[in-house]
Amino acid sequence: MPMTAVRSGAADASFPVQDASWDLVALHRAGRLVQQYPLVAGLLRHLSDADLIAAGQLLSRLSADEVTRLHPSVATLDIAVTGHGTLAALVPALTAHTARHGLLTRIRLSDFDGYVFDLGDPGSSLYAAGPGLTLCVLDPQIVFDEVPAPWRPEDVERVFGEKLRLVEGLTTAFAANSRGTLVLNTLPLPRRHSAQLLDHRSRARLGAIWHEGNAALLRLGERPGVIVVDLDPLLAGGIAAEDARMSVYAKAHLSPELLAAYAREVAHLARHLTGRTKKCLALDLDGTVWGGILGEDGAEGIEVADGYRGEAFRAFQRVVKQIGSQGVLLAAVSKNDVEPVRAVLRDHPQQTLREADFVRVCANWRPKHENLAELAGALNLGVDSIVFVDDSPYERGLVERELPQVSVVAVDDEPARHMERLLADGWFDVLELTDEDRGRAARYTDELAREDFLRSFDSLADYLRELGVRVRLARLGDQDVPRVAQLTQRTNQFNLTTRRMQPAEVRALAGDPAQLVLTIHSGDRFGENGLVGAIFARRAGDALHIENFLLSCRVFARGIEQTCLAAVLRHARRTGATAVFGAYRPTAKNSGVKDLYPRYGFTRLAADEDGTTRFRHDLAEIVGTPDHVHLDESLGDLPGAATENGNHGPQGDHS
Amino acid sequence: MNTVTTVDDFVQLIADGLGLPVTAEDVDRDLDQIAGWDSLHLLWLVTALERQTGRSVPMVELLRARSLGEIYAAVTS
Repeated sequence: MPMTAVRSGAADASFPVQDASWDLVALHRAGRLVQQYPLVAGLLRHLSDADLIAAGQLLSRLSADEVTRLHPSVATLDIAVTGHGTLAALVPALTAHTARHGLLTRIRLSDFDGYVFDLGDPGSSLYAAGPGLTLCVLDPQIVFDEVPAPWRPEDVERVFGEKLRLVEGLTTAFAANSRGTLVLNTLPLPRRHSAQLLDHRSRARLGAIWHEGNAALLRLGERPGVIVVDLDPLLAGGIAAEDARMSVYAKAHLSPELLAAYAREVAHLARHLTGRTKKCLALDLDGTVWGGILGEDGAEGIEVADGYRGEAFRAFQRVVKQIGSQGVLLAAVSKNDVEPVRAVLRDHPQQTLREADFVRVCANWRPKHENLAELAGALNLGVDSIVFVDDSPYERGLVERELPQVSVVAVDDEPARHMERLLADGWFDVLELTDEDRGRAARYTDELAREDFLRSFDSLADYLRELGVRVRLARLGDQDVPRVAQLTQRTNQFNLTTRRMQPAEVRALAGDPAQLVLTIHSGDRFGENGLVGAIFARRAGDALHIENFLLSCRVFARGIEQTCLAAVLRHARRTGATAVFGAYRPTAKNSGVKDLYPRYGFTRLAADEDGTTRFRHDLAEIVGTPDHVHLDESLGDLPGAATENGNHGPQGDHS
Repeated sequence: MNTVTTVDDFVQLIADGLGLPVTAEDVDRDLDQIAGWDSLHLLWLVTALERQTGRSVPMVELLRARSLGEIYAAVTS
């Protein structure tokens, strides 16, 4: 093939599936992979599982440092891989699956069978490297390597019990030595072990012991900072757990296919940990949500519940509703007249998804990418927060071409497969759900009502006065920790230094007397917004340093930021500070707040090497609270975090 | 991605598949002398070759081979 034939798969409407993997090889042969790295995610988009792994081999040879030097805006994550067996096959799989999400990973593979030392020794090089994500990959041989020959189920029970205590201890050590996230996994039980027991009674007993052991592993996932990936659902999809030759000859106890499926799951976790979780699911209607074409078949003719295909669409709608109930915003984007669509969603007796399940129904004849861009604008999200599902290759192709940041899920004319297509990638995976998540759709629906309301006012000032904004600024209470950690993960635009934090880190800061961690709740005449922001500050002598300030995109530009900053400045002056310092660290998404501090009376200081700009306020003149905002402030009179930790005012957030 | 019918194809498969800068001149070199070679690459090779040919590869012979030429001989014999 010609060496120079490097096309962008993303920009070609004919979707050259085979060609995309050739493009990557061509870039590799030409030595241009590093230079053209931003094309990589697009080239990986339509690859088969096997081609993805092949691509991962090539990508794993690249120097992440060189890529970062040429493309500083590419998001990166350090991942440590440790475990029991040979895990070499995991590196290309992880590299490819994270690259699909535009994420550049530095993967550090530990020595064979190094997990006990890596996690158990506080001085290990794994802890010294401080990875954001640590994968401790366990396999069935940690148990079967240590049973006698011959063995009975009781032997397995004893060894599995010992290993559980070991892993539990390592998990505790990890919590003490790392602020990152630890990923464990359940152990598959290959038939070559269970079939060695000839009587069914013993075989069943082995199964019970094994499942109990895996259940104990899964319960470790209730600990903060620990995730346990259950391999059973991956195996149930039809993947072999092991290749006996690889296991016997190379101590590679999990099959390359299983490791690849595991890497796919981990990549979504990595996506979440780097603040890139998808937030909105946009669905085509005809052929996707229901069968048939509404404009031709009419409301009575579409398939939503009855018959074979109707059943399939109903099952898909139930899955969508399930996803929507967990904080994902649902939208319909359909080429249809709006009234018939609304009539179906409102009145069709067998519809599962209803008008109220969607934060927006875009039914018109304009190109879908325009509707998606507007949808993102209305929801105040980036278009890269959207997952779009459509059964039409034309519509998918157009969206991929015009809005490559949107993740596009292909469904086809077999509706029974819609569910697995949508769920194949964990676009919306998070560590844990908060009350905020469960109420999100309703809040965004309020938000769209606010926007309509906005149109009836001549000026923003009039609007804000009518809106009756309420702000409550308070010290962090223990119950706020998960939501505040989540805000640090999800917030991209109004995030001054974009420091992502796990709940344990937030809790640690709150307990430090030099730290001032504040939560921001807001509300207005349309209802409560909930916990929408946080301020992290540190008192050092006469100075207060604002380490980070973040605010949910739902509540920008209503005077809330000015109100909170003014309150912090007044608090600093009241408690004897002579200056307040702020910092802005640029990312691809937060340029909107780069002048926040100067706007409110801070002077710009020199920039650091990493691009962070610092600001200083001398506390001589402090900006006031905007007239339209009512502030309820309970910061206390102590300079930093107080023994009165928990004095956070009434909790109206989720009521 | 590649079809392997000659030893040159085999070298190209390794170059493109593993991203190693190997050429036909490396075929008889001891594996230890090939820059970037790692015994774990054999596991990838087993999977890649079996996917392509649909036949089982004699893994022990691959593990014993000391050069790319010996590996090629083992999978084509």
